[in-house]
Amino acid sequence: MEYLNLGKISLLIGFILIIIGFWGILSQKNIIKIIVSFTILDTGINILIVSLGYIKGRTAPIIDASVPQLADHNVLNSIVDPVPQALVLTAIVIGFGVTALLLAYAMKLFKAKRTLEINQFNDLKW
Amino acid sequence: MVSPIYIVAAALGVGFAIGVLGKLGKNFSGILTLLTLGFMTYVSSEWLYAFYFGDQVSTYVFTAGYKPPISINLLMGPQEAFMSTLINVIGLLGGIYLFFNFGRKGRNAFVVYLVFIMSLNVVIMTRDLFNLFVFLEISSIATAGLILIEKGNRAVGAGFKYIIATSIISSILLIGTIFAYFYTGSLNIDDLVKSDLTTTTGGLIAVFLILIAAILEMKPFPANGWGLDVYEGSHQGFSAVVSAATATASYFMLYKLLDIAGNSWDHYIAVIGAVTFIGANLLGVKQKFARRLLAYSSIGQLGLLMLILGLRTYLGDNLNYVVFGILLTNLLAKTGFFWLVGIVKAKTLKEWAIIRRKPFFLFLMGTFVFALIGFPPFPSFFAKWTFVMDLAANGGFVWIAVILTGSFLEAIYYFRWFGYAVKADDNYNFSFNVRWHKITPIILLTALLYIIGYLTAQHTELGRMINFIPLFFVLILFALDFLPVFIKNTIAIIGMGIYFYFIYPSLSDLKLLFEVIFMIGGILTLIAGYAYKGKRSGFYPVAILMYAGLTGLIEANTTLQFFFGWELMTAGSYFLIIRGKRSMPHALSYMLFSVAGAYAILAGISIANIGQLTTSLSIFNNIQYFPQWAYGLLLFGFLTKTASVGIHIWLPGAHGEAESDVSPMVSAILLKAGVYGVILALIGMSKSQYDLSSLTYILGWVGALTVLFGNISAVFQEDAKRLLAYSSIGQLGYIVFAFAIMTQLGWLTGFTYVINHFMYKAVLFLTIGAVVLRVGTHNMYEMGGLIKRMPLAFVAVLIGITSLSGVPPLSGFTGKWLFYNAVIEKGWYFQGVIVFLSGGVAFLYLFRLIQTIFLGQLKDNHRNVKEISIWFLIPIYTLLAGLMVFSARPQWVLQPLGDMIANYMPQNSIRWDGAYAYTAIGHWTGSGVMMTIGSVFLIVFLILKLSTRKAHKIKQFDIVYSGERPDRPDTTHVAYNMYAGFYKAVWPLTVPLAERFWNWMTELVHEAAGFTRRIYSGNGQAYMLHIVLYIIVLFFITIGSSI
Amino acid sequence: MNIYVKLAYTLLGFFLVLNWGLLMSATLRKIVARVAGRHGIPFYQPWIDLLKNIGVRTTLSHGFMFYLGPVFRFTGAVGMFLFMPALFGSDMWSNFSFEGDIVLILYFQLFGMLGMAIGAGEGGHPHSAIGIARGLAQHAAIEIPMTLGIISLAIQYHTLSFTDIVAAQQGGIANWTIFTNPIAGVTLLLAALGAMGHSPFNLVKAPNEIPIGPPTEYHGTYLGVLMSSGVVLHVMEAALFMNLLFGGATNWVEFIIKTFLINFYSVFVGVVFPRFKIEQSVVWFFKVPMALGILAILIYSF
Repeated sequence: MEYLNLGKISLLIGFILIIIGFWGILSQKNIIKIIVSFTILDTGINILIVSLGYIKGRTAPIIDASVPQLADHNVLNSIVDPVPQALVLTAIVIGFGVTALLLAYAMKLFKAKRTLEINQFNDLKW
Repeated sequence: MVSPIYIVAAALGVGFAIGVLGKLGKNFSGILTLLTLGFMTYVSSEWLYAFYFGDQVSTYVFTAGYKPPISINLLMGPQEAFMSTLINVIGLLGGIYLFFNFGRKGRNAFVVYLVFIMSLNVVIMTRDLFNLFVFLEISSIATAGLILIEKGNRAVGAGFKYIIATSIISSILLIGTIFAYFYTGSLNIDDLVKSDLTTTTGGLIAVFLILIAAILEMKPFPANGWGLDVYEGSHQGFSAVVSAATATASYFMLYKLLDIAGNSWDHYIAVIGAVTFIGANLLGVKQKFARRLLAYSSIGQLGLLMLILGLRTYLGDNLNYVVFGILLTNLLAKTGFFWLVGIVKAKTLKEWAIIRRKPFFLFLMGTFVFALIGFPPFPSFFAKWTFVMDLAANGGFVWIAVILTGSFLEAIYYFRWFGYAVKADDNYNFSFNVRWHKITPIILLTALLYIIGYLTAQHTELGRMINFIPLFFVLILFALDFLPVFIKNTIAIIGMGIYFYFIYPSLSDLKLLFEVIFMIGGILTLIAGYAYKGKRSGFYPVAILMYAGLTGLIEANTTLQFFFGWELMTAGSYFLIIRGKRSMPHALSYMLFSVAGAYAILAGISIANIGQLTTSLSIFNNIQYFPQWAYGLLLFGFLTKTASVGIHIWLPGAHGEAESDVSPMVSAILLKAGVYGVILALIGMSKSQYDLSSLTYILGWVGALTVLFGNISAVFQEDAKRLLAYSSIGQLGYIVFAFAIMTQLGWLTGFTYVINHFMYKAVLFLTIGAVVLRVGTHNMYEMGGLIKRMPLAFVAVLIGITSLSGVPPLSGFTGKWLFYNAVIEKGWYFQGVIVFLSGGVAFLYLFRLIQTIFLGQLKDNHRNVKEISIWFLIPIYTLLAGLMVFSARPQWVLQPLGDMIANYMPQNSIRWDGAYAYTAIGHWTGSGVMMTIGSVFLIVFLILKLSTRKAHKIKQFDIVYSGERPDRPDTTHVAYNMYAGFYKAVWPLTVPLAERFWNWMTELVHEAAGFTRRIYSGNGQAYMLHIVLYIIVLFFITIGSSI
Repeated sequence: MNIYVKLAYTLLGFFLVLNWGLLMSATLRKIVARVAGRHGIPFYQPWIDLLKNIGVRTTLSHGFMFYLGPVFRFTGAVGMFLFMPALFGSDMWSNFSFEGDIVLILYFQLFGMLGMAIGAGEGGHPHSAIGIARGLAQHAAIEIPMTLGIISLAIQYHTLSFTDIVAAQQGGIANWTIFTNPIAGVTLLLAALGAMGHSPFNLVKAPNEIPIGPPTEYHGTYLGVLMSSGVVLHVMEAALFMNLLFGGATNWVEFIIKTFLINFYSVFVGVVFPRFKIEQSVVWFFKVPMALGILAILIYSF
């Protein structure tokens, strides 16, 4: 089981979630379901980011008691890459914003036509 | 120098402030927003100024006190400064335009707008990939929010499609970003460029994901349904900003990111751009709605930008010049257009007829249309020129074809739309109102368009040589358009006269001949303009525009000057032609053939330009590569103006429906521009070291068939002006044929026809035009017997047709005699026979012209018409005097012409002995024949006169008529379907094959567009599928095989 | 040669041709009548007609152009005479042929036609316009074999000058173009049928049934002028083909015989064949004459 370490598993899960997300976006007719699919996609990407920064045996890049304090104060060898962690935080925020906006749109769409079927909203075409 | 970070800081700060200080009024928030936008504009333009006029170097701005890759950095270089200035200017103007629209939504709308513009600035400046992602998302969210300032379901639907599509694209970018980070350990674009990311499979995928996201942001065809909907669905004030600012940012993002892949993606980008450019413009052709049409056009322009970017290796140092030219034009004109749409509010293209209720708006629209198609003096003209020249210089001929095809498709719909605006029936009961804050930004953009166009020209050495004085004269006439026709006409004539006086000493030979035709002919036809009353709004600027182009052709020393003149002339003549009452479809087809011809000329020049050290027009004489193609394209281009058979279908309508004094301008004068071009090309061919006789042979046949076709078609016209128009086609066929002979005699014939056609066609068109003004119809069968009412007009037509027919002793015979000698000397017997036999056919239509209008039975409703206007008679009789001099003393003109031609065609095959001309096979004296015939005529006349004293005139119906006395002129006048018998014999030659062919082509393009556009089903999910499929397909095309 | 002497000879020549034309037309009309089983007119009838017409003063006019019509027509006839050498090898009878070549004649034919057409047009009679429309259509068709044949001759002789073409045919019948270049010769003879305007190509005037064609409204002096132009033109048309195909003429007797025979040929065809409708005659020239004409050039192209 050496092959399947935590990093690889989470990477795989991330990919699976991304694919599920895409599948959902492309196959679901209900706008709410599409938005949910989008958040699944988003989550998948976030997991992907985190897992790419994962290094076996290290801890989160938060300098607290769990991080062994070495003599020269070099913590870099005991924590995972901090950049993806930072990115993921931003990405989550962005994803939140987008989801909120999508839901707001869903409301407006429902108000407009009393339906949430995406194929009803094709006033603009050709 | 204000640090660019303050662009971000100011926007965010003010945004928060407005949000926090909720008590501020809406208007105050708005003004604060505008001030902030002004500040942002100031910052970026200060940098721009420093880069271009100072010696400022590109500067990195670091944040958070660290250097990359730890922190984010921004770069302010000349390109960044340029792009962000554009965005901020548009942002500011857009803010003004949308001021009250935002206001209605509350102050938060201002905040969102401010953040939107700011995020685009960051997208331009940032050098951090993740930061790019973040601000891209911010701009998407802001966009989705701002779409909602437009009311209605359509905007909501469009916004939803947009946000979900851009979110997916951003997701792809994010995945690519994280992979890139994984492989390189940096998010800094400069680091990514330096690291060889493409050497590993994973890196390759990372680059693919990043670039595909950037490409999808450029809305590539066909995965761009969501983009179209945004342009169409959102408020047009905002669509303009999206089309201008977002597109600029997207372009620059792709430009930045492309470096990560090195040059390996250039080719794909070019192909994607080409597909988008052609695809979007093709679908635009079928479009009926103004908003969506602009959407297609915007996407087409994005495709063009991608195409340019992908072809950057061809362009080298000129890349920025080309991009700036195209981008600027698109930005200014498209924004203006969107805003115009927002004001006019007509949905379908046909409804745009209402715009001409306010002529100034028509002027604005015209400016935008001509700028977008790439006419001078707008920046896109110079950019397109440079682009095509560079492509040809590096062998990119296929790309030239792609660009010109796409541009042509674009021209189709823009000119159709503009045609509707100028001429479609305006019977709509809705109207449009203009408010100052909406029109001011548009006027600013328009002014910028002209100024920047001028500056773009001054930017290059070639452009500086262009003479802009005639154009300024045109602008002055635009400004004076409120004056009555009499004053403007005088100004125009004096202007042309003075210009000719100053230009005259610098010209000789060929140039002088054509300048005289253009300028003196122009002045003569303008004199006829005095016959018009009122203001004749818009006539003088465009007429002078055409003459400015024509004189530009003559004065041109470089190929760019030549093409500049050519395009001005095309634009001016288009406006002149579309002035006719029923001219809308004809002006469109004229314009489309002209544009196609101009593109052929452009392509021809670009090939001629290969390997040349000079840009002078003399490169035509020394084309080194692909001479057949270069000359072939040039000739084709020029032949579209001379209306040779097959590409003639625009002429009859365009000339036939034009106003009375416009017809001679566009027939007798304008057509000679095409002839001038043909002559230039043929001079080049005569000096070429290659054997190009096959080309002239084809040209000869084209000319001969044109003669036959033009003359036969003219016979069966019922409309007098169309008859003359078809006759022009035939006459131009003679000219083309004569020049194709490529001997001294042939060219002498050609020049004789040029001079003759100028004079008699001007006389005929002026006279018939003046008659039409009096009787109010073009149909010959509705006229008749007018010799009694307008004898002077009759005499003019009589001399005109006698001359045209080639009957001795008038000058037409000079041409015929030379023709026989030239043809036999050359050995082109069959072409010659076709030409001569067509001369016989010409009699039919000439007789029809004079018989059905002036002879036969005078109609009851014409019993009181007056002689044609004195203002028409003056130019007519001046020209007739010229015609008589040329008839009586042909040697005065032909001898110097022969000497001039000897410079190009060395064989000396005509010998002059006083008034006697000798060739190897024939002899003739113009003066002698004139004198002999004149004397005989006079003697016979006198004898007859003496023997018939006191003959009294009898009444109209006192004729031998089978024992009856006709009392209705209509039934006694032989006019309608006059040559029915002849038609039964020759009808196979009158089948309009060319019309059918072009109709079929039109149908084909429309059907293709109609079929293809069904992919835009309107379903957001389908658009998502397009994006995913696009990614998959592109994956296999680009890197699929290397993994 | 003194220009006045030249003028005198030219005038004399014209007088001769005019009288010969009158006589010839009477003769030919008599022949046609006899073929049809009629007695026909006396040979002096044309002189009587002419004198009568000229003697009757015209007192009516449709207008100025109507008046100029006969002037144009007569000038055209005189010009045809002037620009063609009457007799070969004679300075006195070469007229004004130094002023132009075959091309001049080809186009000058139309001078009278056009002027006449326009003059008649002012009369306002529909029959004039119909006749002219037919005439022009037919003329356009005749141009095909005519041009093809003349170009073939120009290739053969390397000249467009009458004098040179006739000169090349001197020295015996075998040197005549009709024998040295028979295809072009036949082409031109077929064109001649149309140019002479006898049946089957006389729908233009339709002389026997109704008054139709350009002269419909003319009478008196006008008609006399038209009539004399007509006969001169008949002779000169024949002279044109005589010069082109049959070695020209070196004396007046030869001139008279040859022009008579050429005219007789066209009348002969005329009494045998019925009249064509206009579309038929146009199409007729598109067929055999055009094919022959193309052949006549092709043989010189290789």
